[in-house]
Amino acid sequence: MTSAAADYLVVDHLIKQYGETRAIDDMSLSIPRGEFLTLLGPSGSGKTTLLMAIAGFVTPTSGRILLQGQDITNLPPEKRDLGVVFQGYALFPHMTVEENVAFPLEVRKVPRDEIRRLVAKGLETVQLTALAKRKPAQLSGGQQQRVALARSLVFSPPLILLDEPLSALDRNLRTQLQEELKQLHRKLGVSVVNVTHDQDEALSMSTLIAVINHGRIVQLGTPYEIYERPRTQFVATFVGRSNIINAAVLGRDQGGTVRLEAGGHQFTSTTSTGAAIGATVPVSLRPERLILTTGTAQPDGLAGTVAEMTYHGNTTQYVVDTAAGQLRVEDRSQQLSAPVQPGTAVTLTWPADAPCIVLADD
Amino acid sequence: MQPAATPRLSRTIVIALGWLGLIFLLAPLAVVFPVSLTPERYLSMPTDSISFQHYAKLISDTRWSSSILTSLWIAVLTTIAATTIGTLCAIGLWRLSGRLTQYLRILLLAPLIVPPIVHALAFYRTWTDFNWLDTISGVVIAHTVLCIPLVLITVSTSLSGFDRRVEQAARSLGASTFTVLRRIVVPNIAPGILAGAAFSFVTSWDEVVTVIFLTSRKVMTMPIVIWNSLSERVDPAVAAISAVMILLTLIAVFLRLSKDRKPQGH
Repeated sequence: MTSAAADYLVVDHLIKQYGETRAIDDMSLSIPRGEFLTLLGPSGSGKTTLLMAIAGFVTPTSGRILLQGQDITNLPPEKRDLGVVFQGYALFPHMTVEENVAFPLEVRKVPRDEIRRLVAKGLETVQLTALAKRKPAQLSGGQQQRVALARSLVFSPPLILLDEPLSALDRNLRTQLQEELKQLHRKLGVSVVNVTHDQDEALSMSTLIAVINHGRIVQLGTPYEIYERPRTQFVATFVGRSNIINAAVLGRDQGGTVRLEAGGHQFTSTTSTGAAIGATVPVSLRPERLILTTGTAQPDGLAGTVAEMTYHGNTTQYVVDTAAGQLRVEDRSQQLSAPVQPGTAVTLTWPADAPCIVLADD
Repeated sequence: MQPAATPRLSRTIVIALGWLGLIFLLAPLAVVFPVSLTPERYLSMPTDSISFQHYAKLISDTRWSSSILTSLWIAVLTTIAATTIGTLCAIGLWRLSGRLTQYLRILLLAPLIVPPIVHALAFYRTWTDFNWLDTISGVVIAHTVLCIPLVLITVSTSLSGFDRRVEQAARSLGASTFTVLRRIVVPNIAPGILAGAAFSFVTSWDEVVTVIFLTSRKVMTMPIVIWNSLSERVDPAVAAISAVMILLTLIAVFLRLSKDRKPQGH
């Protein structure tokens, strides 16, 4: 086969038009086998439309979808062999857990003994063997989620699609199931495409994240890349609420670092920019990377005044007024002996790798 | 007046009115049963003796027995046809669900809105051209048209509570459209289909207006025989058949209720 392992799932210039609006506006991506890709975006961004296009329930206006080198764009959903876990799980209410899981095997005419064996194995994987004879209505949300997962895994599909699989669950259960999903992914080595609007879920579960906004893929990268090196202002603020300050480009050093200035304070960034000297660029500064000091003014920092302070126990959140704008500061280390009260004059400093130059949103 | 007395008084009035309404509805039944047992050959209350001759007549008199069979036959065929078409129609409208299907839905419900005499006339006019007058199939087709909207309503109601994603899930798991219909959709809307079938059966079973227009001699349905018996000579067999039908209905209702109650015993 010509398609390399890197092109396991390919979305090629996909467009979906509804009247005047484009739910999917020229999306392209290519992911290797075995990845856990999360489509992350606000509601209405087109992430679910993309997932449903891969599943076959949305016919794209143009573009192609390829799986393992095969063009599946025009295949009906039942011919795609994908394991889909729908929002709300969509279990068959009139069938028992066992019958639900057996369904995809029955329609594939798998011999009865084999069905029995695979269903038993599948239920064991999600730890539901004891509940095999129950109806979905008699299960908790977490259990229903596991049934849906077992049902989509039992026929060993080449790709699993998850549509906000954890959104209906409470927080504790969600964390637990995130762990389970991750383990399952590691253990079975299946390729997964997951949709969520929850950035924590995306960061903790995925091996790859595609941040989607207004029908476009804004950035595709590992969770680390997405969080530490956001490409645009939208990514920086949507994934973990960052501070955006506008800084002027002063020049470039030989090592590639960019010298910047904001609010009368000069600093550097290791990220590159195509902007000309003298131009203004948005710079992302994560609240938890900012270090707040009181007392004698540091010559090396950005001076400011604490406007608000919220104590959360494990962290303390500050809003600090500076010449470069209002900045959010999150103190996780709790190095300060006591929370700094509003009105206090402070200085903000940060490690050299903290500022990240981003692209302004359209 | 004491504050506590008011709700109790109004409650009593409501209950009393309820019973009055019930008696008003059930009073004819109290007449039908004794009349069916009269020894006379005309509609009358039995005085000195009772007789079951009118019940026997329902079986022995071929006019009655064959009309009952004809009505049953028509009702069964109508139920099968209307339930199948109505169900498929409801599923189709549910799947497509656009503005056009809304208009289509209203159009399909038209037979319920148009007065019976009007569509009876329309059937008569059309059936003459088709040469379908006075045939069983002619009546079945007309009744099917009348019953499809009933099925459409009950099945659509069932479908409105059915999660579209369940159907999508079945397809994504590899089931063909027909398998999804048979194994997923139909079992989940079975109550609506059964209700539609029941309504269709009952509607066809006692439908008289259309049948009067569409039949003359060859096809004699039970409601037609009742109608003729009443207009000719007030035959007490009419009371007997009414009594039988009431009893059958009661038995059906009790069977249904006892079936509903069973699961609670667990």
